[in-house]
This record gives sequence, structure tokens and C-alpha cells, in this order.
Amino acid sequence: MGLLTEKKANEDYIIIIGCGRLGANLASTLSDEGRNVLIIDKNKDAFRKLSPSFEGLTVNGDATELDVLQEAQISKASVVIAVTNNDNVNIMVAQIAREMFQIQRVITRLYDPEREYVYHEFDIDTICPAILSAKEIDKILSETGMSKCEFQEEKQ
Amino acid sequence: MKTKVLLVGGRSKAKSLATSLIRKGYRVTVVNDTYEDCLELAEIDGLTVINGDGTKPFVLEDANAGDADIAIALTSKDEDNLVICELCKKRFHVKKTVALVLDPKKTDFFYRMGIDSVVCAITAISGIIEQQAFMDKIATLVPIREGRVSVAEVPISGTAPVVGKKLWEINLPKQVIIGCILRGDTPMVPRGDTRILAGDMLVLISSDKQEMAAIKELTGH
Repeated sequence: MGLLTEKKANEDYIIIIGCGRLGANLASTLSDEGRNVLIIDKNKDAFRKLSPSFEGLTVNGDATELDVLQEAQISKASVVIAVTNNDNVNIMVAQIAREMFQIQRVITRLYDPEREYVYHEFDIDTICPAILSAKEIDKILSETGMSKCEFQEEKQ
Repeated sequence: MKTKVLLVGGRSKAKSLATSLIRKGYRVTVVNDTYEDCLELAEIDGLTVINGDGTKPFVLEDANAGDADIAIALTSKDEDNLVICELCKKRFHVKKTVALVLDPKKTDFFYRMGIDSVVCAITAISGIIEQQAFMDKIATLVPIREGRVSVAEVPISGTAPVVGKKLWEINLPKQVIIGCILRGDTPMVPRGDTRILAGDMLVLISSDKQEMAAIKELTGH
């Protein structure tokens, strides 16, 4: 933890919960950008997904336990990102971070967009892969559609 | 109209709760994500069983959550119980939500998230064991708010050190008051100059585990 205390608290300290593909990727990228990153996962082997250049910290434990979050010094975090593969865990951790530790910036990944309902009033940023993918595919479709139109216009 | 209760998750807990609630005249629906458990639950007369994951809004909709008066989340995962209760409350506007919580440290958090009643099995069971173990000194102990406050009945025997003393002479812990003295059949509200007599039954109201210290002071044990 010495690494963190050297810098001023709250300035730039990102906690990522869940070291899956998304969590590990994000942690590695942010660490490469020179930011303070701590990643939590209950499965120790998950940390192997981190890139060799990852310079942040890892905590092995269940992030739904308050003790584990305290060990990660969550109250000093500027951002908490919940990206485990379990929506309900992400929802609970996000609400704990916001309500118990007053973290202003909380970002969550939810597979099921309908569950966002439960913390709607908390103003937690939610990423939903299905919706993002649909938008992206729709964009590609409309782009190809547009190019068709243009092609036809040119012909006329 | 019958009160409608929705039970989500929990195999044996759901089974015994459903049986008991149906006997008392409630309309009960259970949601369970294991098919085998559902078959077992379906053997209970008059019980509606829905097979599905109760943390999913559409499953709760199938179970008619919007009609329920009380929703009780009994799964073995805290995060699932939280989401079930929050969905019931915010999406389906169930009047009362009850959640089981495994981790006693999360009880507060669950209340803050708007769940009406949080039951922690560990806290409840340790409270009961404590009461059983100290049965000789306490007649009854009623824990309130997860045992943070408790009301205990303490009988005063002839050998107790406080016999004959006035209340203000007793060195009780700060977080404890004697709310009532039962002398024979008459209950009396004590004042500082009330004397404690042998055979009195004291009703003690105390916060946070201070009752043991108080009982020691009163009974000498």
C-alpha cells in the first residue's frame, strides 16, 4: 500500500472489481497509462489475465465483504468499477461503494439492462454490453444503408 | 381479501414458511430456480410455484409480484436477496420487503437500501443460544433491532447484592435502565429512590450487549 500513500489520497485511485476479460483488460490499460489501479477478484488465478506490464495492486477476496473493500482502502478511491460476471454482485458492490463509502464515481457493467431499475436513483453509470452491441450493429447497418442511398443518388 | 406473500429462493426455509403461512390463511407464491426443488415445493397444497431466477424482473412478473403484499427473499446469497427486494420494492411496489442476510455486517446496509425488514440468521441464532445459556439469570430476553437493544426480565433472589438498595445506589452501566419492577402482581415504574426487594422481577432495557454487565451488577452472578 506504500505506493498509494505516497500520492495524495483521492486524487487518482481506481478500484476494479472482477478480474475477468473486461476487468483485466481495463486494469492493464489504466496501469499502462500510469494510473493507480487496484483489482479485486475472489479467484487468485484470475490475476493471470493481467498483462505482464501491470503495475497495480491485486487483492484476493470477495468484494461483497466490507472487510475486503476496507483492505483495498476503498474510501480513498476516486473511481470504483464493478465488472464481475455476476450482475447481482455488481449491483450490490456498486451500492455499497456509493452508500457506505460515498464514492462519487461508480461504474457498473450489467448484462441484464432491466436490473438497472434497482439503483436508478443512485445515479450509477451503467454499461450494458447487449445495448452497446445493438447500437453499434445498428450504426453499421445504417452506415451501409446510407452508402447505398448515396450510391443511388449518384446514379441519378 | 387474503394477504399475498411472495417467497423467493430457499428450499427448506421456503417449504416450512410456505406451509405455515398457508395454514394461517395467506396466499403464498414461491419462486425457485431449481426445478427439483420446485417439484418438491409443488407438493404443498394450495401453493403456487414458479420455476425461475427471482432476481430477473420477468420471473417476478410471472409470479405476479405486483400483487404481493409482502415479499421475502430467502436465497443463500446476499446479493441476490438485495436485488430481489429492491426489484420488488421499486419495480413492483410491494409494500413490505423482508430479506435474509448471511453476513451480519451487511444488516445496516440492507436497511439503508430501503428493505423494510432484515433478518440475519447468525445474529438471531447467537441471540437465542445466549438466552438459553444464561437462562438461570434471565427469565426472558427479547432482542429488538437485531439485538442492538434488548428487553430482559431479571428475577432478584434473596441473595442478590442489590436487595434493599435504592436504584440510584446501584452502579448500572450507562446504556441500561430498569424500565419496570414487577412486585407480586403489580407493575411499578421505578424512580431513583425506589428500593429493590427480594422476589422482585426487574424489566431491563439495555443497548448493545451491556445487559450482561448489568445483570452481573444486579444479581451478583
